[in-house]
Amino acid sequence: MSSQYASEICTLLVEDNFGELFGRIFSTLLRYNRLPLPRLKHYSGLSERQLHYGLAAMIQHRLVFHYTAYDDGITYYEANIQFSYYLVRSGKILEFIKERLGDYAAAVMSTIMLLGHAQIGYLEDLPELNAHHPISNGVTEEGDVDGEYGSIKEAEDPEGQEGEEGQVNGVNGDYAPSGPSGLLHPTLKTLAAHGYITRVREAHFQSYSDNVLDAERAVKSRPEVKQLKGKKLEEAVLEKTIDLIRERTDGDLTHGLVFNGVPRGAKRSHGTEADGPNKKSRLNYDSVDGDEDIEENEWSDDEMVGDVVPMQLSKSGLVVQVNYEKLDVALRNRRFLELAEKDASPVTSHIYECLLRRIEYQTRCCRDTAEIPREGEEGEQYSAPISLTAVVEEVDPKLDVAGSIAPKDISQPFNRRGKRPLEDGVNGDHHEGPNGVASEGNRIFDIDQHLSLLAQPPYNLTSKRTIGGLTTWTVEFRYLARKLRHLELERMVEARYGDVAFRVIRILHAKGKLDEKRLQEISLLPFKDLRQVLALMQAGGFVDLQEVPRDAQRQPSRTIYLWYYDPDRIRAGMLEDIYKTMSRCLQRLRFERSRMKDFLEKTERSDVKGNEMRYLSEAELKTLQQWKAREALLLGEVSRLDDMVAVMRDY
Amino acid sequence: MTSSESGGSTAQLASKLYDECLAKFPPDHLFYQQDLLGLGVVPKNDLGLLLQCTQWLVDQKLFRLLQGKNDRLSWKLISREDAEKLQSLSPDESLVYNVIHSTGRSGIWVRAIQNRTNVHKSILDRCLKSLEGKNYIKSVHNVKYPSRKMYMLAGLAPSEDVTGGAWFTDGVLDANFINTIATYIEYTVSRKSWFEVPSSDGPRNKRIKTSSGAAVKQDAEKEYLAFPPGYKGYPTVSMITAAVNESGLTPVRLGEDSIAQLCDVLCYDNKLVAINGGEFYKSTKNPEAVKQEQMRKESNQEPADTSRELVKNGMTEAPCGQCPVFKLCTPGGAVSPESCEYFGPWLEKALGF
Repeated sequence: MSSQYASEICTLLVEDNFGELFGRIFSTLLRYNRLPLPRLKHYSGLSERQLHYGLAAMIQHRLVFHYTAYDDGITYYEANIQFSYYLVRSGKILEFIKERLGDYAAAVMSTIMLLGHAQIGYLEDLPELNAHHPISNGVTEEGDVDGEYGSIKEAEDPEGQEGEEGQVNGVNGDYAPSGPSGLLHPTLKTLAAHGYITRVREAHFQSYSDNVLDAERAVKSRPEVKQLKGKKLEEAVLEKTIDLIRERTDGDLTHGLVFNGVPRGAKRSHGTEADGPNKKSRLNYDSVDGDEDIEENEWSDDEMVGDVVPMQLSKSGLVVQVNYEKLDVALRNRRFLELAEKDASPVTSHIYECLLRRIEYQTRCCRDTAEIPREGEEGEQYSAPISLTAVVEEVDPKLDVAGSIAPKDISQPFNRRGKRPLEDGVNGDHHEGPNGVASEGNRIFDIDQHLSLLAQPPYNLTSKRTIGGLTTWTVEFRYLARKLRHLELERMVEARYGDVAFRVIRILHAKGKLDEKRLQEISLLPFKDLRQVLALMQAGGFVDLQEVPRDAQRQPSRTIYLWYYDPDRIRAGMLEDIYKTMSRCLQRLRFERSRMKDFLEKTERSDVKGNEMRYLSEAELKTLQQWKAREALLLGEVSRLDDMVAVMRDY
Repeated sequence: MTSSESGGSTAQLASKLYDECLAKFPPDHLFYQQDLLGLGVVPKNDLGLLLQCTQWLVDQKLFRLLQGKNDRLSWKLISREDAEKLQSLSPDESLVYNVIHSTGRSGIWVRAIQNRTNVHKSILDRCLKSLEGKNYIKSVHNVKYPSRKMYMLAGLAPSEDVTGGAWFTDGVLDANFINTIATYIEYTVSRKSWFEVPSSDGPRNKRIKTSSGAAVKQDAEKEYLAFPPGYKGYPTVSMITAAVNESGLTPVRLGEDSIAQLCDVLCYDNKLVAINGGEFYKSTKNPEAVKQEQMRKESNQEPADTSRELVKNGMTEAPCGQCPVFKLCTPGGAVSPESCEYFGPWLEKALGF
């Protein structure tokens, strides 16, 4: 079951987002684990009516699992820690969708997120997604969810907090006037094609272990399994159970929506090009052309090729939900990109982004196992290989790929294409003519060079493979995820204990267990400094000491002492600390809010809200601004902590 | 009469033998019986006479008696000056001297001398004192056993094992020296691992220079590009070693081993990166960034705000990450988020009001 601090933060999130009733039910379920209704009623002290209402809504929001046993017909309820935690990430996800697929897609996504899961038909009827008139406060009660978490990104910047409340509302309000009603379906298709939304299956409402038990029972009652015995039976049951669960929870909607590894409606990073580079697609039949040439707001183009798209998405009865696993993959790729941006030139990181995006389309989840495996026990796992030509296609043709890598030989005169002053004067800034056509082969080579550059240490962000004579590029996800964790831990050590400690940690990590003398020799640090920093870190739990006695007496003088650094253990401890810090930030925010309760209630009055300038005095406006900055800071902090949680737990 | 005569002739013969040895063999040669007989100094290969001669030479401290392979007797030459020195020593002193001599450049612990000579402690102390007074031996500091008192011959330089290598001065790690060299290496490597774009837009820079002095620094910022993969121009350990030795920063010549050791440390510091398993080194930052970082370190111990950002993450910047009583913190407890004394100042500092 979950730890103390994970439960704490999840309960806080539920309370903050959905109010006290949900919080009460959720915390009771967390404390007592799995409960049938009468026990839940007893422990929570709520009335039956409240419970019925609360549980129904929470199931709708995917905060509670429910399961009705076959034997006694009693329904058990269980808290869904995972989904409740994802509440904190919603802002980040919406930000991401907005950047990738535009405002309207983000609005659709946020609506699905708010509802937990939604029927297409219901979405069709929603005025704020369809209407031609803006609705300023369409989502009232639940609007808070995104008002708080959705704006975290902007809110990190104390200046940008003006548009704080109701990020979602803002989006809707902005968008609605121009939002044609026909936009919903293409957008949903795009989201589905990217894998960001999936279909809801009945099994999703039961906890994983219940699903396993159910599937096992189903498998065991099959006639062909019944005949097996002993070990064979076990194996068959295990295998078939996994198959059955996969089948039951599979909500994949991407089928038929992906062309050549690119989802329908994917926005090319460089937008639609002029004629030149698209010559190839002209040769193809219309549907692909429509796919490739899609402009930002031309999703309705998709309708033209409706016969290729499976009809299921158009059915109003289909129920969709947010696919957090897939979004984690996307967010993880963003972290890798940040890592690349730190060292590499903008051109190189752009090319990396293109590669990662191609890989993202083919990656379903961050890892196969439920838990992060222990260090050293984790196998290498490469992403789907992407052929070099696919990457080249994805890269903006206007990008000067040659100019950002130095020549191999320094003595050669360095000639950056397009930077020659004379030609520039004649041809203008971009002279596509000679570049675009003549250097097609060079361009592929250059992009390959950029990718090879990323493959170098220290990060080894890419790796090259040749499959059947075809050059492909992959990303070693497990290695990089591990690297991210280590970097995060090292960063903490450096911030807390200084660069001496940073060096020591990295040595211990590379070399394993070392005694003090050897450590000193490698680190070239004076004994005094070394001992000091080791002692400090031991007190902080970052390094540990192992005693190896040389004889049975275990005398201290005849014992070898070895220092070591165990990233696994530290990671686990750190994760708890991060949960705790997140809760503290939220609790502090609540406290700050309670201190200014009267004032805040005034600003939230329906007549004041939106008309602050008219009703509030200057001093009040200033206080309001300060309060918003404060709230933004604390929520921003929570969001940054969530980044760490993602690294330590999800990637 | 005969004995004195024979003694005299033995002495003559012996010194002739000694001279022959000195002339025909290198000073470090290990002499066995046949080597000495082979010189043809001793008539008729008379073993008895040879024994007398060598005994006399040993007595005169011109030969040192050693045990060679297979328990055979063997000898080594001692120079005449050294022999004079040794002749002036008392038997105890000479015993101690020999033991110390035998350990060569690694030196010997006082207790080990005692074990080997079986001399009483007080006598040993006296011998060591007088030997040290005559400047025949010196006490050395061993980095591995800083508490042990060790001796070696005065004329020898302590070996690397004793001194701990180039990075130790008087048996203590010379942190300043290491830092100087490390800084130098980082900058040198950095200059060679990034390509500096030749400023093609030079005139523009100049124009700005004339208009306002302050703007120059910003615009003069150089642009650096990474070398293509497989680039062979990155510095190797031997190149770095040569550069360091030429720089005049080090009074002694540093070996490649020491420099390789330091490069490893710099890798652990995330300043350099080893490429091709240590064949080349490449710096992580470009020369400009390295310079700035180093200037910052020199001028001020307190790191600037911008560089602090680099080591930050969600956990270290929140007050809880630094809180000494984080473990005790619970809502409603003695330490609680409501009563927290760190949150207020943190919020104020971050928001600036």
